[in-house]
Amino acid sequence: MPETKNKKFSVNADGLFKQNIVLMSGLVTAPIIVAATNAERAVMLIVSFFLISYTGILLCRFIPRRIVYTVRILLYAVVAAAMYIPTMILLERLFHEAVSEVSLYVGLMVVNSFLLAKTETRFYLKPYPEMTLDAFIYVLGYALVTLVVGVLREILAYGTVYSFHLCEPIMPAAKSPFFGFILVGILAAFCRSIVGRRTSVRKERGV
Amino acid sequence: MSEVFARIVSVAMISVFMQNAIFDRAFGANVAIYASRKNEHVVGFTLGITVMTTLASIISYFFDKLVMPLENGYLFMPLIYVGIIGILYVAGLLIMWKFFHKMFRKVKQYAHLAIFNCTVIGALFLNSNYGSDLASYIGYGFGTGIGFFLACFMLNIAHERLDSEKIPRIFRGYPIMLIYIGIVSLAFNVLVGYTAEF
Repeated sequence: MPETKNKKFSVNADGLFKQNIVLMSGLVTAPIIVAATNAERAVMLIVSFFLISYTGILLCRFIPRRIVYTVRILLYAVVAAAMYIPTMILLERLFHEAVSEVSLYVGLMVVNSFLLAKTETRFYLKPYPEMTLDAFIYVLGYALVTLVVGVLREILAYGTVYSFHLCEPIMPAAKSPFFGFILVGILAAFCRSIVGRRTSVRKERGV
Repeated sequence: MSEVFARIVSVAMISVFMQNAIFDRAFGANVAIYASRKNEHVVGFTLGITVMTTLASIISYFFDKLVMPLENGYLFMPLIYVGIIGILYVAGLLIMWKFFHKMFRKVKQYAHLAIFNCTVIGALFLNSNYGSDLASYIGYGFGTGIGFFLACFMLNIAHERLDSEKIPRIFRGYPIMLIYIGIVSLAFNVLVGYTAEF
């Protein structure tokens, strides 16, 4: 404990791009690929991911580490499943009937690898305040990708942004799961190219 | 009896081809990509997921009938499903530890990935939405596991080529795998002439 007290509080923004959970690690992709077909659905997914996963991470930190890993994982999922209840109640208040369009994918978030795996390999190795910020940056990274995918698909499939008319639908198939796979794949390659370029520039500068 | 069997087979066929867990719903796509890298993982993950989806579907049938008719009963379904999956997961590991010690050592590293993923819990959610009788629950649960195998197998045979030097560096690995799944998903949609409405 004294060791952590002496450590300098550091902010690591890796979760935003360099280790983005969707584009770089490939975690929690199903809701984005299938359900994020417009901006409203993207916002619903972001709210639910924040409430289920982020709150789950903060709460699960209090589960004693001496409990065997097998049972600990199960407890993480139970906490997330419990968080599903207030999340759905809030979503129904905010978005009314539209929630039914994404409810299946909100349910899937209770067993997402971000909560079940990333916690053990990254978050719980850090002091609590640092972990709180680090996990939040990861959630921001997820939110950014979800929003970009949702908005892009809405423009292509419906010609609107958050139901505001922009143009005629360019590609109605953009709302299909297969397009979701292809779009996320292209965005992942794009993100890798930017991260790779920034890393090589830093190496050249000797940073 | 033959009617029940026919129902199980027909629902299983639907979940393998028409509503494939990976290609149509993207359930556990990241797990499929991970599992497809090694032949032994394809078999291990498929076995784990198939056994889990089938057994969990049977148990969840009774809970669905009990809880779903209640007002706000759907809010508690994830908790119930996690409970069912958790009990089966611990029981499975205990059985392996007791009787198949060697296998237990191998499996324990990735057992949680095979069990706690979207494919398993997604099958239970879809069953509660669309399943009507026990036979359809069993068929959908079993078919989900077989559908996962089909997807994993297709990714496994393409893995070497997609990871080759011919693929641009930034696309190699995960991005090209997603694009490949997208193209196969498109082929499945065209083959079936059907688009899933979730």
